Amino acid sequence: MSSVLQARGVVMTFRNGDEETEVLRGIDVDLAAGELVALVGASGSGKSTLLSILGLLLRPTAGDIEIAGQRVDDLNEKARAAFRNQRLGFVFQFHHLLPDFTAMENVAFPAAAPAGGISPEMRKRALSLLDRVGLADRANFPATRLSGGQKQRVAIARALMNRPDLVIADEPTGNLDLRSAGQVLDLMGEVNREDRATFLICTHDEHVAARCDRRIQLVDGRVQAEGDGSISLTDR
Amino acid sequence: MFALKVARRYLTSNPAQTVLLVTGVALGVTVFIFITALIEGLAVRLTDQVTANSAHVTLEPPTRLAEILPGDPAVRTEGVALVSTFQRRQIRSWRSTAELITRQPGVSALSPQISGNAFLVKGESVQPVSVTGLEPEGLDAITPITPNLVSGQGALGADGLLIGTQLAEDLGLTAGQPVLLRTDRGGERLLTVRGIYKTGLQSLDSRVAFLSLQTARPLFDLPEGVTNIEIKLDDPGRAREVAEFLAGATGLRATPWQDKNLNLEDALEAQGRTGTLIQIFSLISIIIGVASALVLSAYRRRSEVGIMRAFGISGAFIVAVFMLQGLLIGLAGGLLGCVSGYGLCTFLASLTDAEGNAPLPIAPERGGYVAVLILTTIGAVLASAFPARSASRIDPLEAIQQ
Repeated sequence: MSSVLQARGVVMTFRNGDEETEVLRGIDVDLAAGELVALVGASGSGKSTLLSILGLLLRPTAGDIEIAGQRVDDLNEKARAAFRNQRLGFVFQFHHLLPDFTAMENVAFPAAAPAGGISPEMRKRALSLLDRVGLADRANFPATRLSGGQKQRVAIARALMNRPDLVIADEPTGNLDLRSAGQVLDLMGEVNREDRATFLICTHDEHVAARCDRRIQLVDGRVQAEGDGSISLTDR
Repeated sequence: MFALKVARRYLTSNPAQTVLLVTGVALGVTVFIFITALIEGLAVRLTDQVTANSAHVTLEPPTRLAEILPGDPAVRTEGVALVSTFQRRQIRSWRSTAELITRQPGVSALSPQISGNAFLVKGESVQPVSVTGLEPEGLDAITPITPNLVSGQGALGADGLLIGTQLAEDLGLTAGQPVLLRTDRGGERLLTVRGIYKTGLQSLDSRVAFLSLQTARPLFDLPEGVTNIEIKLDDPGRAREVAEFLAGATGLRATPWQDKNLNLEDALEAQGRTGTLIQIFSLISIIIGVASALVLSAYRRRSEVGIMRAFGISGAFIVAVFMLQGLLIGLAGGLLGCVSGYGLCTFLASLTDAEGNAPLPIAPERGGYVAVLILTTIGAVLASAFPARSASRIDPLEAIQQ
């Protein structure tokens, strides 16, 4: 399998006056295409910081990062934004849908804004993604009229709109009830298997991690162990 | 344009706030238009009042200068105005000058005249009078006399004279009566009062007498020329420009009406400056209103903008969304303000007092509509620049973590 993400020696130090806090202490991460990987660790272990760095939302203090064969750690802000738009997808703990737009418009937004409008192809792709997440009949619903689980499924469809090389998900089920969380995880698993989409999911939930192909465990800013996720939600 | 769609959606998502904002802008525009129409109307009324009965440009022979001739070119000579009581200053080639003037665009009327001073004698009553000799067919060209006749008629004839009511009263004259005219050139003739006019201007009604040019020639010892040519323009505001041209083209002294009414011009300028200040304050209030509303909007939408930035939506797109909101608010408020401003001005202009006069000299057609619409739109776009810039700089990470 080809490599989607390769990070070497990622260090992140936050400075507060004279005080320095080293949050990440030389992280190496590899993700192959089509993998579903959980990033786990206790609060303060640095997993959110690592996820932000790998999602090009934060610059590391040191380290080399390559995504889909392109060095990204030295890109300027404009190029990083364009890279995020074209090559990465994001799913956050809170759906962050745009409340004044319909489900279809929310899904199409990452493609429509740079292009200057929703083309017929974009509309078709957005509708097919909504169909994929089981919300075809909600395409023209305003985002505010969707349930929490539906909103998060729309957010997943939005993350897939530009056919990203890597989808970064930060606690995607953290705000959902058990049933909705299960649906969202099933959906991400399906998309991963059928579309060969690569997912890196940051979670502190053992059940979510267990649904992944493997897990990367962070402890105190270092990768402590990697292993497969052998426990499934049905094993609870 | 997708940014326009987003901007429109943002504005329509909170209709009450948008309506309030647009109304605020429209109110500022209405004030701007009202002040502009009022000041322009006042200027038009005052100018009309001053120029309705007088010339917009007066052409006279140039002042002749007498110079000392020292013989040495290095010695500076000084000109001294030559004033002669014997040699009458006149425009000899007045017919060709009149033809030149008539060809100028914007000239609505002209009147070659012989003006001079005289006394009217009726029995023991003697009154000084300013005499204007003019072509009978051009009697009303500069000052509307015929419409203001209160008795007699306007036909001057060979020995006719028209005088104002005040002068007629001072001399105890009525239409049809004879009166002796004695000029400062020594001419003397018995004339007949053909008509008596009342313009409402005391200087005219008590001091001026009109007679025909031919009658005036022997009385003022001017067999060929005229002393002055009075000109009316379609637009009195162009008087300076026309005067400058005519002075250059004819070599005559051309005086625009403003130079004879410098106090009025000063007053109009001061009034214009006051109006400009009020207009500037109206625009500032519009800009502050739009800017504060969009600053609030940008703050309220921090997380939305942050998530857009996380998707890699460019800062330029965010800037465009907020500046387009400014543009839409400016356009909508500007257009609404133009309509309401015109409506208000038209209503106020239609009001009349018991005598049928408009209490406010407002000119609804001079509200500066295009200017205020352009200024408001530009102002609103500029007002949105700061919130747009700050929105485009929102850190996506910070917004997501909120």
